[in-house]
Amino acid sequence: MLGYVAIGLPCGLMESTIGFTPLMCLVVSATFYSGAGQFMYSNMWVSGAPLYSIIASISFVNTRQILYSAAFSPYFGQVGKLLSFLFSATVTDESFGVNMDKFNKDKTWTPQHGLAVNLLCMTSWAVSNALGCALGSLLDLPLAITAFAMTSIFICLLAGQTLTRKTGVVMAVAAVGVAFCKLVGLTGPAILLGAVAGVIAGLLVPQDVDDGSPVGQTNEAMGDARHVDD
Amino acid sequence: MSTTEFLILYGCVLATMLLSRCVPLFALKGRSLSPRVTEALGLIPPAAFAALVANDLFQPDVLAKSPIEGILPFVAAIPVLVVAKRTHSLIWSALVGMVAYALLLSAANAL
Repeated sequence: MLGYVAIGLPCGLMESTIGFTPLMCLVVSATFYSGAGQFMYSNMWVSGAPLYSIIASISFVNTRQILYSAAFSPYFGQVGKLLSFLFSATVTDESFGVNMDKFNKDKTWTPQHGLAVNLLCMTSWAVSNALGCALGSLLDLPLAITAFAMTSIFICLLAGQTLTRKTGVVMAVAAVGVAFCKLVGLTGPAILLGAVAGVIAGLLVPQDVDDGSPVGQTNEAMGDARHVDD
Repeated sequence: MSTTEFLILYGCVLATMLLSRCVPLFALKGRSLSPRVTEALGLIPPAAFAALVANDLFQPDVLAKSPIEGILPFVAAIPVLVVAKRTHSLIWSALVGMVAYALLLSAANAL
């Protein structure tokens, strides 16, 4: 929870630079509730990206939540619709980790407990975000410097990803893809196009888990779905 | 950002977020996603964060105007990466990044 405060304050501060009011921060943080997403729109707006590109990029990043939601579905077979909705709507990267661990190991852990964890995290996030936004108008840090704080946060999130041969390829292709897009003038959709290229490249790389296939296979063979499914 | 732009942005990202968060839990109930889809979804975070970092560090127009200024973000990223790997702390990474970038910027301006 302290983590949420530590990141919520600078996030609100960034949002104040793109014209958000503390109330807007509070509402967005309590409903959209996404650290990466909220940093992304501030960042992309500052760098002059068009609105459609911001929405598309954030929506693409949002899709990772499908994985979390799918992972919880076995535990919600007998749970009511309202509780299921409230719980699933308030899952984030961090609370996913905590709840998954609890559901797996602790037999007394209920969806109500899970929702309580989610709501506590969400409240601390929303309040610190609004506070950061209110303070932001008082503090006058140069934009280039605060923008680099966001870059640093992305670097930290990137550094936190498990590095395997597959994710290494994903990261490299995504980064080179972005650079290429910017060089040819596709600055707006660069992030989205680069990231999609990275995911596609990753799917073409054979599984990291040794499945008996040689490393130097051709792309056609790697792209074969049967290869991954076995 | 105007109020209309804010509402469009907020409405759209909230809609895709709620769809991503809620639909699978209701739709699956016991069944599971195909391994291929699970794999693709798992690759999104590394791809997205690499793309975001590359987008921030690589500024072709700045690089063309002043090579030193264009290189600065890459140099400032090095201590951030070290701190991120050591501490796994977002806030420390952000602080180190801001200080490193500010120092480099003022050093470059003094040259």
